[in-house]
Amino acid sequence: MTAVIDKGKCNGCELCALYCPLDVIHMEDGIAVILYPEECWHCGACRQDCAHDAITFQFAPAMLGI
Amino acid sequence: MASIFGSDVHRLKADVAVIGGGTAGLNTALAAAEMGADVLVVDKAHIQRSGAIAGGIDHFFAYLETGPSWDTRDAYLGWVAKVARGAANLKIHEKVFCDELVPAMERTESMGVSLHQPDGSILRTQALGQPGPIAINFDGKFLKPKMAFAVKKKHIRTLNRVQVSNLYLHNGEFAGFAGYDIRNGDFYEIEAKAAVIATGNTNRMFKSQTGNPFNLWYCPANTGDLHRAAFDVGVELANVEYVRLTIVPKGFSAPGFNAFFGMGGKFVNGLGQQFMQNYHPMGDKAPRNMMVWGALQEVRAGRGPIYVDVRHLSAKDLTHLFSTLGIDKDTLPEFLRAKGYDREGTLIEMTVSEPMQARPSELCGSGIKIDETCASNVPGLFAAGDASDQMGCLHMCMAGGYAAGKHAARYAATVGHHRPLKAKALADERARVFAPLLRKTGLAAGEFETIVRIIATDHFGPYKSEISLTGAIAKLNGLDRYRDELKANNLHELMRCHEAMNIQSVAKIVAHAALARKESRFVPYHYRSDYPETDENCCGLVVVRKDGEAGIATRFERLHYDA
Repeated sequence: MTAVIDKGKCNGCELCALYCPLDVIHMEDGIAVILYPEECWHCGACRQDCAHDAITFQFAPAMLGI
Repeated sequence: MASIFGSDVHRLKADVAVIGGGTAGLNTALAAAEMGADVLVVDKAHIQRSGAIAGGIDHFFAYLETGPSWDTRDAYLGWVAKVARGAANLKIHEKVFCDELVPAMERTESMGVSLHQPDGSILRTQALGQPGPIAINFDGKFLKPKMAFAVKKKHIRTLNRVQVSNLYLHNGEFAGFAGYDIRNGDFYEIEAKAAVIATGNTNRMFKSQTGNPFNLWYCPANTGDLHRAAFDVGVELANVEYVRLTIVPKGFSAPGFNAFFGMGGKFVNGLGQQFMQNYHPMGDKAPRNMMVWGALQEVRAGRGPIYVDVRHLSAKDLTHLFSTLGIDKDTLPEFLRAKGYDREGTLIEMTVSEPMQARPSELCGSGIKIDETCASNVPGLFAAGDASDQMGCLHMCMAGGYAAGKHAARYAATVGHHRPLKAKALADERARVFAPLLRKTGLAAGEFETIVRIIATDHFGPYKSEISLTGAIAKLNGLDRYRDELKANNLHELMRCHEAMNIQSVAKIVAHAALARKESRFVPYHYRSDYPETDENCCGLVVVRKDGEAGIATRFERLHYDA
């Protein structure tokens, strides 16, 4: 379960990495990276704060399958 | 001064420190600043998006005095007395919520978040045993960032990404605390005349439905860090024996319960039959614990799974329901669509959520025991929001958080000088905090935490007895030997190490408190299989405090209600 960042769309503004309440998003080489995907709460704050629609959500098989 | 790990050590002072910058904490900060105090907010995440409403919130409980008998202060308090009996102290409730309600609603609006619908009306729904439709539906998607903006506008100092690790007293009175920056490793020593703890409840203590401990209804960043730290300096806790559960969509522990049933969804079993009337006269509008109880009984009787039936709702109501669900949990509508629940004629499968250490009702809290001034038993230490034993939910955190800030500022104004912090204690703490980073080999935080979750779930999640609780305490104590083996590879993992230890410590406190309550109350939140009935002699708080180095003592404090 996690947010997914489209590297092509990310402009490196850092807002998602700055605000993520679970500290799962960090910056690497000027691009936001989901460093701890298993710790995503799916709150959607990062997506709301992204001005470039670079963030989508993928639901883990355990969430959709059961 | 360089720390032993090459990072900086900072010494800061404040009149009022607010630990935890969620809804309650930020309202606390605003109030204390408006009283003229020099305020410092410290948050483990970032105040822009931290706490329970990081991604949004969609309802605010309030009586509005519009005429009907259910819409009054007295009716509201009657509801509190009925559904939070034995946990809510009405005198405190009046002071921290009722007296603060109108300004809290005005403050919400002044932040740029309207409690009204676009056409100017107020949309209210009824669920959870409410006396009438007192849940205001509103678009609170951006309430948290707007609250953070209000704090910034007042130039309130904020330390983001700092995990507070311990509190310190001087001659029995609050002196300050220590913490570290989870992003750069800087160590903080903070002197404050007063502190308000607003760090929420304790999550990740029990197994979750998919096995992922971050797939939770409540914020998984709330790990009892300050419940543990406050307890260690002699602060009393109350209402911690309750193990809260709710009804969530199968696969995704997201909020939505209030919206599903408030909009007229029907709770049905695997036979397609409504069943809640068998468990509570209010049926699908029963208090939350009874909805959970009903679901558990149906599943146990072989009539599972459980579903919400929304097939009878109009297209307009369904559209409103799905958009409301997205306000409370941004990603929930697309999850429901991915499961195919937007197709006509579909039942939405639900399940009983993970258990959590939290308040037994929307109308009280669980944690630091507060009085009518939000003060704990330790002079200078206050609490607000879900971290306190008497506040919870948005309405109380907005109102009561502000009350806590006023009282803490008043108290701080009476303290002449900052109380001293001991250099040796701070040096020892710095070594303790960073120790997992120095270990070459050791146990990962996740593994330690998983063991705590298995013990807590098996022994009191939620059913419990004297034998199960005594066994839990022995196992949780047995885990102590692994604490000095926890290893972190970086600062993020270091935070998770401390969280894991705090969850374990709070689990011990929960088990001790549950052992002392020899009855059942708010079933299944406190269901003692050896004392399955509610006992009026137990109508009150089990108060827990530290007793000696390793001991935990409890006492009972009776609560009184008119009826």
